[in-house]
Amino acid sequence: MRAALFGRHLVASLIMLAVVTVALGFGYPLVVTGLSQLFFHRQANGSLVYRSGKLVGSELLGQEFLDTRGNPLPQYFQPRPSAAGAGYDGSSSGATNLGPSNPLLIGFVAGVNTVGLDGQPSAVNPFATRADPACVPVDPKGVPVTSPAPGQKYARAADGSYVCDPNTIPERAIAYRAFNGLPAGAPVPADAVTASGSGLDPDISVQNALDQAPRVARARRLPVQQVIALIHRYTQGREWGFLGEPAVNVLELNLALDGQS
Amino acid sequence: MTISGWEQLLFVAAVTVVAAPLLGRYLAATFRGGKAPGDRVFLPVERLVYRTLGVDPESSWTWRSYALAVLAFGLVSTLLLYAILRLQGVLPGNPTHAPGMPPLLSFNTAVSFITGTNWQAYEGETQASNLADTVGLVVAQFTAGGVGIAVALAVVRGIAGKSRTIGNFWSDLTRSLVRVLVPLSIIGALVMVSQGAVQNLSGFRTAATLAGGTQKIPGGLVASMEAIKLLGTNGGSYYGVGGAHPFENPTPFTNMFDLLFVIVLPFAILFMFGRLIGRPRQGYALVAVMAIIFVAHTMVSMQAEHHGNHLLPASVSQVASGVSPGGNMEGKETRFGPEGSALMTVGTMGTTAGATDSALDSYTPVGGTGAFAGILLGEISPGGDGGGLYSILVLALLAVFVAGLMVGRTPEFLGKKIRAPQMKLVVTYVLVIPVTVLVFGGISLVISVGTSSILNPGFHGLSEVTYAYASVANNNGSAFAGLAANTTWYNVTLGLSMLIGRFAPIVLSLAVAGSLAGARVHARTRATLDTAGPTFAAFLLGVIVIVGGLIYFPMLILGPIGERIVG
Repeated sequence: MRAALFGRHLVASLIMLAVVTVALGFGYPLVVTGLSQLFFHRQANGSLVYRSGKLVGSELLGQEFLDTRGNPLPQYFQPRPSAAGAGYDGSSSGATNLGPSNPLLIGFVAGVNTVGLDGQPSAVNPFATRADPACVPVDPKGVPVTSPAPGQKYARAADGSYVCDPNTIPERAIAYRAFNGLPAGAPVPADAVTASGSGLDPDISVQNALDQAPRVARARRLPVQQVIALIHRYTQGREWGFLGEPAVNVLELNLALDGQS
Repeated sequence: MTISGWEQLLFVAAVTVVAAPLLGRYLAATFRGGKAPGDRVFLPVERLVYRTLGVDPESSWTWRSYALAVLAFGLVSTLLLYAILRLQGVLPGNPTHAPGMPPLLSFNTAVSFITGTNWQAYEGETQASNLADTVGLVVAQFTAGGVGIAVALAVVRGIAGKSRTIGNFWSDLTRSLVRVLVPLSIIGALVMVSQGAVQNLSGFRTAATLAGGTQKIPGGLVASMEAIKLLGTNGGSYYGVGGAHPFENPTPFTNMFDLLFVIVLPFAILFMFGRLIGRPRQGYALVAVMAIIFVAHTMVSMQAEHHGNHLLPASVSQVASGVSPGGNMEGKETRFGPEGSALMTVGTMGTTAGATDSALDSYTPVGGTGAFAGILLGEISPGGDGGGLYSILVLALLAVFVAGLMVGRTPEFLGKKIRAPQMKLVVTYVLVIPVTVLVFGGISLVISVGTSSILNPGFHGLSEVTYAYASVANNNGSAFAGLAANTTWYNVTLGLSMLIGRFAPIVLSLAVAGSLAGARVHARTRATLDTAGPTFAAFLLGVIVIVGGLIYFPMLILGPIGERIVG
């Protein structure tokens, strides 16, 4: 009796599934696509940005501004660090997923995650360098070492100090200051040294843009005031005055710069 | 929290307070039986479905028949989705050339979407075809939401009704799809597209970047999936990173819209419940309990993420200001900031959606605990579509029973006496998910195939594993995504956890409803415990927190609490 009932339910389930697959699997997305293409053509296709007829990117996706050797181009505002593929890879969105106490993110912090040369917990960071007390060393291939094995080999700089993993937040802060000509220990905005959730964040904070402005102005031989004025023109305030955070769209800002010089 | 953080939280609360009762009124009119709004449009569609199925929508079934229908539909749906995922490589609609998924990944993904969990062990951009996304996964997202609402309606009829039967699954499912989920999804998807969410049929486009490189720009049927992902409290995204992706969640407005699109319907179902049983106050009492839990665990995370990661060097400025969002920005988008991210991500943790706009694995220990709390308290703030209602009803029965023992009265809920048979089912319901989480989580932490998938060291690594089981067993689906979960061990055990976490509560709550269906309704006297007043609401809140706390506190000590204390 119950088996027969279950059988009847199975048959009805199959028919129901066929109905919803046609109606919701094909009908629903096509209706939404049709209406979207009709009324919101530009948005539905990715808010694409063209320059002299050529597709240069999307307003909503961040992109890299690096030279062929992978170094940041000083004449462009630089986006946030990215964990999407090798960086701003549109086919591979992603975050680092590093936890808040992971040495790969925050470096070796004494008393929290420091290890000695033997890989055992240690009270101090034996790998500390003058510039970076939180230095995480790398092996000769450049792979960060967070739990050294006996006989571990490390990469060393010319002066004998350890070479540090460049992707920790303290190291990124050091590089950010050097690149932008900021004094040692100057505050660095958090968004400039952290990777975003998507790896495709199109924006940086206003402070991050302002900190980069003198460098960009120098590289383009423009007055700093002109660059700062552009930043403010391309700053999007909080939506409706209170939703989200003020942000600067890096691609739009760099396009505007290219248009000026 | 900053002023704009408070404003965003108040905005969400205000819209919910206005929209949920209105939608609840519409739902009550739709599911009461008899004439309903929109009959002129919807009735012909429904009649066509019933004729095709060959079912009589007016017939009403016993709980056993209802449960069998839910299981039969789940079985057939899982098999079809499994087949689509295995075969997507040779099926049309595959512009990105995704190959067929391997067997265990297909099993995990099929179960994941049929149960409304939407745990994604696969990579959205490269491992799922357009056809698999829209014809396989989106259909499952609709039916998962519809099944949840249907079961909730049946449970309400059993607990509160006078009849021995509890309704008709096919008519409940059809009506929730035709009159609620489909029309609202179309509207929601169009709102999202208008803001910049993508909706097209192309694969990758290649752009020549300003610096002279190239960038692949993805396309796809994103907004249509996003809408039902949220409305159906599913959570599974077109892209791997979900709501963090600018093509899914382009602006701070869509961020809040997405959150509201998740929580308003489950809250509305509670208001519907109050109207359907003719006691709106009972609905308000349960809504109040849910709302308190929602605000509490969301605010904890917002505050923690705003405060930032105290382990960073002082020269990295985490102070929020008009020119910098500050806070813990690792894994978060600039446009949302730490508070907007925590509000959206942790706000959906008390539902079975688990939709995220930021990387949970990179949350501070306290921020992550807020997300844990939403899940571990049983996903009742406000829960899944329908799932939130039947979960909190079961907990209310438990609270009534405990209160009855304390004051020495026969426990009654909505005039029906709660006795041993009901309590056996309720206790089984309360224990089945924790047992699943703790057993599988415990085993994973002592075997190498379990621990080798962990990304982050120490306490945080333990959180990654326990969070995974807590998330899937509660059909939430969000992840501490550092865990490499596409392995044999995790695909199988997480898949089993999802099945248990979905169908055990459904069958048990239908059984409770069946055991109360047709039971005598006693008139209210002065000795009757008022289950709609603030006293009972506070008591219910206490029962929920104590039961959840006793079960999970040791696990939290070894995970986020330990991480915070030692750090």
